[in-house]
Amino acid sequence: MSQGASKTSGGFIDTLEETLIAALLGAMTVVTFANVIARFVFNSNILWALELTVFLFGWLVLLGASYAVKKGAHLGVDALVNILSPAARRIVGLIAAAACLLFCLLLLKGCYDYWAVFADLPPTTGRWFPTGFEEKFRSQSFYEVDDIPMIAPFRWLEGAINYNEAYEKIPKAIPYFVLPLSASLLMLRFVQVTLRIWQGTEDRLVASHELDEDEISEAAERADKLEG
Amino acid sequence: MDVILLFSMVIGLLMIGVPIAVSLGLSSTLFLLWFSDTSLASVAGTLFEAFEGHFTLLAIPFFILASSFMTTGGVARRIIRFSIACVGHLPGGLAIAGVFACMLFAALSGSSPATVVAIGSIVIAGMRQVGYTKEFAAGVICNAGTLGILIPPSIVMVVYAAAVEVSVGRMFLAGVIPGLMAGLMLMVTIYVMAKVKNLPQGEWQGWGEVFTAAREAGWGLFLIVIILGGIYGGVFTPTEAAAVAAIYSFVIACFVYRDMGPLATTGPEANTSLFRKPWALVTAMIHPDTKQTLFDAGKLTVTLLFVIANALILKHVLTDEQVPQTIAGAMLDAGFGPVMFLVIVNIILLIGGQFMEPSGLLVIVAPLVFPIAIELGIDPIHLGIIMVVNMEIGMITPPVGLNLFVTSGVAKMPMMAVVRAALPFLAVLFVFLIMVTYIPAISTFLPNAVMGPELIIK
Amino acid sequence: GLAACDDGEIVIKFSHVTNTDKHPKGIAASLLEQRVNDEMNGTACMEVFPSSTLYNDDKVLEAMLQGDVQLAAPSLSKFEKFTKQFRIFDLPFMFTNIEAVDAFQGSATGQAMKDSMQRRGLQGLAFWHNGMKQMSANRPLVQPTDANGLKFRVQSSDVLVAQMEAIGGSPQKMAFSEVYGALQQGVVDGQENTWSNIFGRKFFEVQDGTTETNHGIIDYLVVASVDWLDSLDADVRDQFLTILDEVTEARNKESFAVNQAARQSIIDAGGTVRELTAEQRQAWVDAMKPVWAQFAGDVGQENIDAAQAINAGL
Ligand code: NA
Ligand code: NA
Repeated sequence: MSQGASKTSGGFIDTLEETLIAALLGAMTVVTFANVIARFVFNSNILWALELTVFLFGWLVLLGASYAVKKGAHLGVDALVNILSPAARRIVGLIAAAACLLFCLLLLKGCYDYWAVFADLPPTTGRWFPTGFEEKFRSQSFYEVDDIPMIAPFRWLEGAINYNEAYEKIPKAIPYFVLPLSASLLMLRFVQVTLRIWQGTEDRLVASHELDEDEISEAAERADKLEG
Repeated sequence: MDVILLFSMVIGLLMIGVPIAVSLGLSSTLFLLWFSDTSLASVAGTLFEAFEGHFTLLAIPFFILASSFMTTGGVARRIIRFSIACVGHLPGGLAIAGVFACMLFAALSGSSPATVVAIGSIVIAGMRQVGYTKEFAAGVICNAGTLGILIPPSIVMVVYAAAVEVSVGRMFLAGVIPGLMAGLMLMVTIYVMAKVKNLPQGEWQGWGEVFTAAREAGWGLFLIVIILGGIYGGVFTPTEAAAVAAIYSFVIACFVYRDMGPLATTGPEANTSLFRKPWALVTAMIHPDTKQTLFDAGKLTVTLLFVIANALILKHVLTDEQVPQTIAGAMLDAGFGPVMFLVIVNIILLIGGQFMEPSGLLVIVAPLVFPIAIELGIDPIHLGIIMVVNMEIGMITPPVGLNLFVTSGVAKMPMMAVVRAALPFLAVLFVFLIMVTYIPAISTFLPNAVMGPELIIK
Repeated sequence: GLAACDDGEIVIKFSHVTNTDKHPKGIAASLLEQRVNDEMNGTACMEVFPSSTLYNDDKVLEAMLQGDVQLAAPSLSKFEKFTKQFRIFDLPFMFTNIEAVDAFQGSATGQAMKDSMQRRGLQGLAFWHNGMKQMSANRPLVQPTDANGLKFRVQSSDVLVAQMEAIGGSPQKMAFSEVYGALQQGVVDGQENTWSNIFGRKFFEVQDGTTETNHGIIDYLVVASVDWLDSLDADVRDQFLTILDEVTEARNKESFAVNQAARQSIIDAGGTVRELTAEQRQAWVDAMKPVWAQFAGDVGQENIDAAQAINAGL
């Protein structure tokens, strides 16, 4: 029975996600630092530094959210769950999982609809759940970000979504793509954890505090060793 | 009222073990679908806006990263040595040194539990060895650790600044005097207890040890000079200060202390010199230790910010429904004065702190109480510090308290034992809360002296 | 909802980014709210969300196209994403004074610009003035060469970046909430803004002085989505637009006075205001005007000509 117990990294997908999280945070730090150096040392600027950092930040958190589901690292309250019998805990766990799945479903529709118009794709119809695609919609593929200049690898988008009009800055469709992507991944991870609760290999969705159990037990061991 | 339904839904979901972020996001989304014309797409927009529209929040991952490098880099050990050299010879010396070390580490770290883990593991063990009870040691560290969010830098202050749009630099300055005061009050309490109970006292190791220890710890402690000096010296904005702090910590950890990265060695022998391995300058950036630290900090960022982003969805709903204005109107009509109002804020936060991660709670409560506070003529910076001190107390009060959890883990003690151990010092923090609440100058004196009076725009 | 709107009323949410009672835009929005709620009671109801509490200027247009907000008044540079024609308002020394701006906005060219975003779903309804921009820095700015090597905070706009580079300044991007602290501590050296913003944000306190360059403008365009306007009954729409026009006329007349009052308040508070002689001002014009050539293609030479004809006619 897992109680947020040691979940060290496993396979290829884990490594991929962990590397991505590390790389995004590293890139944010370096870009911001470079802008300070540019301004303070060279009296120059990197005008797109702030905006790029903000987008990397959004990608880090939104993509990382699904990883955190997989590892049971999302913060929550498990005080009540702890005092339930295992059978009751399983039922409550399944209800909680159902709530998460509902959220993902709504979020997935919202995220797709939000991103779609920027990518010249039709948003879905329906208020709660998708019932089809809009036949007429206002494309917002012309919408560019504020500061990040357009780069060659994205030029194909001008033909693909912008009716051959050139972009000066990258289109918003690019940073916003993280929304449908992360909502899909979140959905996938919540489905997996629901199955694990159903099978009884897991009994909760949350961690009760922000620190890794590993870190705390490491600290406790350190203390033990020092005491001798 | 609709809003009561909304908050009941949030609490209900929390209770059955739904993650905080999902509880906030799902309740807000359902509320919007039921009671307004707003589309699901707008929820997605708000989620992204959490990052796109709140540049200030960028400071959080950077401070977390700086703190991670500092912890893996063995700064805590050096800070403790310095603290013992300074105050270890007083009655109750090691306990006082523990508080002092927590204060110093708090100046490097933006989080309270991180402070407990870094300092607690070493100090609790040390105190046990010289004859303190485990309970006493745990109680001291559990309380002193809360200074992590009061002494700048502070994640909670960054969140407050982002939520109500005040200057982060001002908030950080405002935390300095209260942080020193709270630390001092804890130390004096220990001193008095030590005198009464005849607690163990170390030996004065001489100025030589103080200087050696200071030089060792100085590299780490210089970080606070960089952060505050950089902000108030005109080199960078608070956000940039955090990024510079992260880079500085990386350099210190890999190339000066060399406790991590390519120059670290596992055995007792001295770590490798950079002159013998100059290519480490490059390999340090892709070293597994560096990646692991980035990943750990990234993961913590994800869990904290996912809560904050979803709390911002709830904030958007509340604003859209003009809830803060309605509540503000009702409270003002009822004739509440500043004193009564602050008592209510204290109570809301102490109760809310039982269920919520502090920064998520702040994102929701700050916009609710902020308009009223401004109406009542309460300084926004003062309100911010009151909120931070409330969060500190929430962390060490049962049933749910972040620092209680962490301390019980580090000291391998049952929760209730930690609660009892923390109680005498909790009383000190309560007195401190009352002082901070009703003496605004404690918070506002330093920022006003350095940056001029607060500009209230709303 | 919980707000003051009754059932059956058309809800008009107006999101903006300033205070409600001191800033020219905030005052106009509050007046509009009051008049709509008085005169259209039972038909429509306006809720104003000030101080970026609901959306900031960047997000509000996205939200409008999604139908989540009905009215907004972002600064004109925000519309450069919809059509680059709007860059004309950022070009330095394009308009001699606020009267020229007013005449241009009221001309056929200005009217056409309001309609120019229809294909992208936005309808411009009314131009609201803030005022002419001035330059401030942490050292005296008299000649354009005084700006050489200084770091200036600018909004995200290619034109403003080019303008600052033209006088040898280093343009810097920074969140508006950080600007006061950054000016105070010297992270950036200067900025450009209207008198009302320089006074309202107290930038003058942390600058050596403000130079009265009148080199550019900050104005706003009240917009609604085409889809929302189309959804209104013709008589409701007409009544609403009439009220908007009257509010616009009344407040635009006052905007000059609001800015002059702010200018005086800065002086009263001990701030320095530097006036330029004709030759000094000409030096600034000569330094900045080359930027026009760079953006003439985006703006349209005919629009530049129309603006210059108005300047000449005043
Ligand atoms: Na701190
Ligand atoms: Na608590």
